[in-house]
Amino acid sequence: MKYMLMMNTMRAGAGVPAWPKNDLQAHIAFMLGLNRDLQQSGEFVQAEGLTFPSQARQVRAGKDGVPITDGVFPESKEFLAGFWIIDVETPERAYAIAGRISAAPGPGGVPLNMPIEVRPVMSAPPAEMM
Amino acid sequence: MKYILLMSGTQAGVASYHTWAQSDRDRHMQTLGAIVNDLVEKGEFVDTQPLSGPSEAKIVRGEKNGLPVTDGVFPEAKEFLLGYWIVDVATPERACAIAGKISAAPGPGGIPTNMPIEVRQFIDARTRPH
Repeated sequence: MKYMLMMNTMRAGAGVPAWPKNDLQAHIAFMLGLNRDLQQSGEFVQAEGLTFPSQARQVRAGKDGVPITDGVFPESKEFLAGFWIIDVETPERAYAIAGRISAAPGPGGVPLNMPIEVRPVMSAPPAEMM
Repeated sequence: MKYILLMSGTQAGVASYHTWAQSDRDRHMQTLGAIVNDLVEKGEFVDTQPLSGPSEAKIVRGEKNGLPVTDGVFPEAKEFLLGYWIVDVATPERACAIAGKISAAPGPGGIPTNMPIEVRQFIDARTRPH
């Protein structure tokens, strides 16, 4: 069963680089260690970090087919900061991995306890969508 | 440059999709399929996945003892990810052009849905600062 684990931040959460360098390094080391563990257990599919909300764009098709690009988002919008795609035996295993990500260390090594959204990934649209 | 194109929606939007005529759904899915085929031909396609609905989504937080705390309640108005495309393109403009095509996929009566598509670049591990 494939799951997407999504780490969302508010715009204010874009300030991670302001952490002391050793805290940032500990956070990155934690994430790299997690990815290594998932690779060793055969559960790793993909993990990516996304660039900051300032570089995000929203695109809508115009009537003439020319895309309309906008970089302005509502202040309250959540942004995807990064995601993992994992292939696990049970939903409980997906929640356990999400719990580990949530506990990643922040400033002073204190767990961030970030909410992680866990979503089953389908390989094709469900029959009722077709 | 790798980008993820995010299509998000609400429960109301999904409910509306289920009221579309079958021919409208077919045309919508055929258009999305043709966009993927074109990306594959151009060597820009990495992955695309639909996600299952919010009823199967969970929010997980890591507790102090490392155990995941799972919550399945999503606010009715919350936007959630419906699906995504990962593309590998030469320019940001190309990523936005593809998002524009997805946004222009036909809805009821063949009229473009003009759904907003969020365009987010991946952090390139080879160039990331830390």
